[in-house]
Amino acid sequence: MLELLGYLLKQGVATSRDNFPDLPEHVRGLPIVTDKDCAEACNLCADLCPTQAIDLSEANSPKLDLGKCIACGLCTDACPSGTLVNDRRTRTARASREALISTRENPAKTAATKETKPSKPGLFQRSLAVRVVSTGCSACDMEIGASLNPIFDMERFGVTVVASPRYADALVVTGPVPLGMRAALLSCYEAMSSPRLVVALGTCAISGGLHGGGYSHSEGVDKILPVDIYIPGCPPHPWSIIDGMLAAKSLKT
Amino acid sequence: MKVDKESISLADLKEILGKETHRIGHFTSLDGGQLLALLLDPSQGDKGVKLYEIALENGINSYPSLTIKHPQLHWFERALFDMFGIIPSGHPRLKHLYLHEPYERNFFPLRRVPLPENFNSPIDRRFHFLEVKGEGIYELPVGPIHAGVIEPGHFRFSCLGETIINLEIQLGYLHRGVEKRLTEVPLKHMHFLAEAVASDTSTANALAHAEAIESLAEIEVSERSKYLRSIALEIERLAMHIVDVGGMSTDIGLLGIASAMGRLRGTALGMGDLLTGSRFLRGFIVPGGVRLPVNNGLTKLKGQVARLRHELKEPIAMFLDNQMALERMREVGVLKASLAKEFGMVGPAGRASGQDYDVRRVFSHAAYPHMAPPTVTARDGDILAREMVRIKEIWSTLDTIDRLLDNLPEGETTGADFSKVRLKPDSFAVGIVEAFRGELLHLVATDKEGKVARYAVKHPSFNNWTALAIAIRNNLIADFPLCNKSFSLSYSGNDL
Repeated sequence: MLELLGYLLKQGVATSRDNFPDLPEHVRGLPIVTDKDCAEACNLCADLCPTQAIDLSEANSPKLDLGKCIACGLCTDACPSGTLVNDRRTRTARASREALISTRENPAKTAATKETKPSKPGLFQRSLAVRVVSTGCSACDMEIGASLNPIFDMERFGVTVVASPRYADALVVTGPVPLGMRAALLSCYEAMSSPRLVVALGTCAISGGLHGGGYSHSEGVDKILPVDIYIPGCPPHPWSIIDGMLAAKSLKT
Repeated sequence: MKVDKESISLADLKEILGKETHRIGHFTSLDGGQLLALLLDPSQGDKGVKLYEIALENGINSYPSLTIKHPQLHWFERALFDMFGIIPSGHPRLKHLYLHEPYERNFFPLRRVPLPENFNSPIDRRFHFLEVKGEGIYELPVGPIHAGVIEPGHFRFSCLGETIINLEIQLGYLHRGVEKRLTEVPLKHMHFLAEAVASDTSTANALAHAEAIESLAEIEVSERSKYLRSIALEIERLAMHIVDVGGMSTDIGLLGIASAMGRLRGTALGMGDLLTGSRFLRGFIVPGGVRLPVNNGLTKLKGQVARLRHELKEPIAMFLDNQMALERMREVGVLKASLAKEFGMVGPAGRASGQDYDVRRVFSHAAYPHMAPPTVTARDGDILAREMVRIKEIWSTLDTIDRLLDNLPEGETTGADFSKVRLKPDSFAVGIVEAFRGELLHLVATDKEGKVARYAVKHPSFNNWTALAIAIRNNLIADFPLCNKSFSLSYSGNDL
């Protein structure tokens, strides 16, 4: 016991001092559309994209759906004109499906919340209790786990992960919601008291991502439940997850 | 590696299974008109991989079940029924594995051969749990949604007081139809989907996929790529073993150690970041080579290995020195070696029950078996043994990454140009990889046009789930979370 305490004291504070820093240079974030012109008759990005997230139907006006993007980086690596670039910002959660579409006129819609700081100590600070339901491949779940670790420490922002939907403010769904998980997810939602929020965490939860199009109807959460906050990424970075939770907290009435 | 198919009769297969010490790598079908048995003889290395085809007579979709004699086949035969509508008649516990109530009774997604006329599936979609009867016996249902942030699955305990008499596990909630989708997406996008079979195992999945596709397309991979792939695979193992030990400390209640392990896992994921630009090493291994980001931090990896080796020492020593932790783990959830062999268990859980089987030392993939570390085994088969194997593998993995970095050859690493890749028609290839949970296998078959006609994935957890149900018998219900964690099973990898 004393040994453990000594060890923990020796480690010092592991928690990141910056909130929502940009990703390091070598790390792939989500792509973004800039105002640079496309190269003539170029469709490299749309051809490479594994999830058909890029729409080039209007000339020189690419539409990039971050709700489908799995951040593979093939498009930004291939783009000869710098129209698509890697966006290293981490405040990526959005409050509507449309806000996830990046275009030249509106490259990255504004973040869903202004809040970026941990809760101050004191009475009556706002909080958010979330119930996580996993319906996917476990990477998003592990990143939720990571956002609770000492480095990111989501709980200092007033967000707690709870074990029952009965006392949760928000239902956080990861994964594409295949047929097999539908009934369980709906019963979890029904067990929550209103007002209740739904957060679609990760590209699968938003659009089905890589898993869409099959007989299991894995097409995302908003096919069966109203979604309030979308957090794109495959999986989203822990900072993006915290951003999404803060956005949900700001919607809480 | 490429495998040649040999046509035999069911009687021949029975004889082969009865005589030799084969592992069953996979047992499935191509389109519902035949059985395919992939048998592995680890003592023979790459030469020990054999694929047999057993034709089913026209209009017949059943054969006498082999499970009673070969319990390894238990779940394989259930999956075969679910996906192809082939009935292993006489199977002791035939029920659906993947597809439950939401699906129609006679829907068999991978079957292309027509079902016999007037066929009606003998088993409905509801999962009938084995009932234990007697005074004081009660049932405890848990899941599919669990209290923590983990994947879904249903556990049905039959208990007498605090003691678990029987556990039955219903999986399939995460069935996304990956195997079917893998035959539908274009080859250039296939590796992304193969990775997403289970993303905590994305590197191993990508590697197994690449190995299979490269054999079919006859693509040579540079030595440098092979080494880099091994480094990625070991980083994944390192991060996940750290998570597993951390998770065990959480469940025991040693939160200080758990948070230290959480932080150190961050360092391991940072190594993935440095090498591949992705914390989960996504999109790194591609058919033909690897995709190194321009600003990769290959040179910084060595420092990270040294740092982790140093920083992991203290929390792990405290974990193994804690009497409470040892009490909770010792002689709990014991799985005997004889049973582990019977179930064909793999990975750390198998090795903790005395199974001397590490794919890295047996079948060639990435820089193995050349660079494979010695196999870590234990004999007790309890939770502690499984954790000890994991902890020893953390150290051997750090050493392996060091050795790979020290001996990293020069050369090209670029992946294949998909516009030029042609797969050999009417062929079979298999990628066998030691993922952090054990033997992971991707079996790919092409049709006469060289298109992927069947893509079969066998995740290590597929072999190990039954073992959990057996190991927990006669243990206390309060020990289940620990026991479950010590087996470190994947739901999505199993459910496909």
